[in-house]
Amino acid sequence: MSVILSIASTTLGEAIRRRVLLVILLIALGSLIIAPGLSVLQPRGQQAAITSLTMGIIQMTSALIAIVLTVYMIPNEIERRTIYTILCKPVQRWQFVVGKYLGAVAALGMMIFFMTLVLIFVTSLNSGFDIARVQELVKGPFMYFWQMAILSAVAMMFSTFVTPLVNFFLSSGIFIAGTVFSSVFQSFMENRGTNELTKTLASAVQYIIPNFALYNVQNPIINPGQEIVNEFGYYLQSVGYALLYVVGLLVVAILIFDRREV
Amino acid sequence: MEAAIEIKQLVKTYKSKIGDINVVDHIDLEVGKGEIFGFLGPNGAGKTTTIKILLGIIYADGGDARVLGREVGDMAIHKKIAYLPEKPYYYEHMTGIEILRFYASLFKIKDEAKLKGLLERVNLANDGHKTISQYSKGMQQRIGLAQSLINDPELLFLDEPTGGLDPIAHIEIRDLILNMREEGKTVFISSHELSDVERICDRVAIINKGRIASQGRLEDLLKGGRYEITASGVPEGLAKSIQEPDTLVSFKDGRLIVDMPDTTSPNAVIEGILAAKGSVISVIPRRKRLEDLFVETVRQKNEEEKAGGRK
Repeated sequence: MSVILSIASTTLGEAIRRRVLLVILLIALGSLIIAPGLSVLQPRGQQAAITSLTMGIIQMTSALIAIVLTVYMIPNEIERRTIYTILCKPVQRWQFVVGKYLGAVAALGMMIFFMTLVLIFVTSLNSGFDIARVQELVKGPFMYFWQMAILSAVAMMFSTFVTPLVNFFLSSGIFIAGTVFSSVFQSFMENRGTNELTKTLASAVQYIIPNFALYNVQNPIINPGQEIVNEFGYYLQSVGYALLYVVGLLVVAILIFDRREV
Repeated sequence: MEAAIEIKQLVKTYKSKIGDINVVDHIDLEVGKGEIFGFLGPNGAGKTTTIKILLGIIYADGGDARVLGREVGDMAIHKKIAYLPEKPYYYEHMTGIEILRFYASLFKIKDEAKLKGLLERVNLANDGHKTISQYSKGMQQRIGLAQSLINDPELLFLDEPTGGLDPIAHIEIRDLILNMREEGKTVFISSHELSDVERICDRVAIINKGRIASQGRLEDLLKGGRYEITASGVPEGLAKSIQEPDTLVSFKDGRLIVDMPDTTSPNAVIEGILAAKGSVISVIPRRKRLEDLFVETVRQKNEEEKAGGRK
């Protein structure tokens, strides 16, 4: 375990110093700060508009950071030959992959945490500090963290065998498909009029592509009138779903990387 | 002598558009424990590929390779070996001592005094707190050597350890490698710096296009030095009277130049020059250098291949 933690902490240290990620984070933090000003133009209630916009900023930024951070993780180590000095020591390849992944997720978690702090600050500045409201707000970034943990695992899996550029598009594509088309596949599966072949295909896609839409819990946060039935159970199930996918994707990544010539 | 590395008929093939290419082509090699072994060859000859196979980073397509008595890939080997790659990169945000702590943690070593001792050993005791981004190329190479010594390895693989370094850094690294021999470590060096190899290695192998072109003890391979005798005031007819075997005689700017093997005494030639009323200007013994052997071997193998087609 100490080997994995060493690799993870070194990865975290390097990730939080990567300029491109810091620039993305700074732009996001700036956007979160100026978001209340932009909401004046919105026809909907100001509070709802601010929340909707800031949640969107956090989610998009987190997705971008998750992909940019992870697609280079293994290719960079190979290109810079750091991997050779690590793998020639008593380090198994699976420990290397898991360590890199945990480091990336830790960096991602740290960045989401900063954005959440700014979100709380901006919201409190706009409508006063309300602990109940803060508790509601943090549910969004909490679920985004798990969503991005899956996305990072997707990108990590691809990074074991494709180039960073291809990985960027593949991971982005899977994120979009898992976010936008998840309900479409679901309706195919549930519609009685759909033929069996389409149902089977939709079902297969539904299992292969993670359902990122599960983690989009912003609607009840934006509109306090809406509620998630059995909220705790829903969150617990979603976290379990994320862990299951992460483990599955890392196993595939390890199996590929284990035979890969670096 | 007990073997630290044993390679038998090792093959590594890569697929390309023009067909399969044997990057390592049935090589046999044995390196004894405590030896400093030079692994030489032109770019793309298969040196780094062979090292990567021995480290278990890539996999052979045929043959057998054993390191410290165990099959390559056995994780137990990794506790006893070290590798310094060519132009390595270390995490630039970390300091020298942090780099050593990181690599030590991979062996579960927490001995801070040992790490400081390593910094001293590579002359970085006063620079351990600086980040790698502040290190010169030579300092980075030295921290690389320090990280490779963390586990007190029995066998070290050094890929171009002195490449691109200034003369001072060059000498420092060379001395560090020589110290390793005194400690009884086996060192496997891949290098283009032939003068270094000549000074520090016990044995060498020259690999060309994936095949071992020549290997042996340096003193055996470099046997066959020559004398170059230069004389003036010698009649041209004297040249015909010099009949020593494997001897080249020429006249340049009125001077006689005799190039003869050092296995033959030059006395007879010198006496002949003096008897002909000539003056001996110089007698220069020329030792065969590794560079000569390297160029000669690689050229010869390439010519053989051109003449006969690759077998």
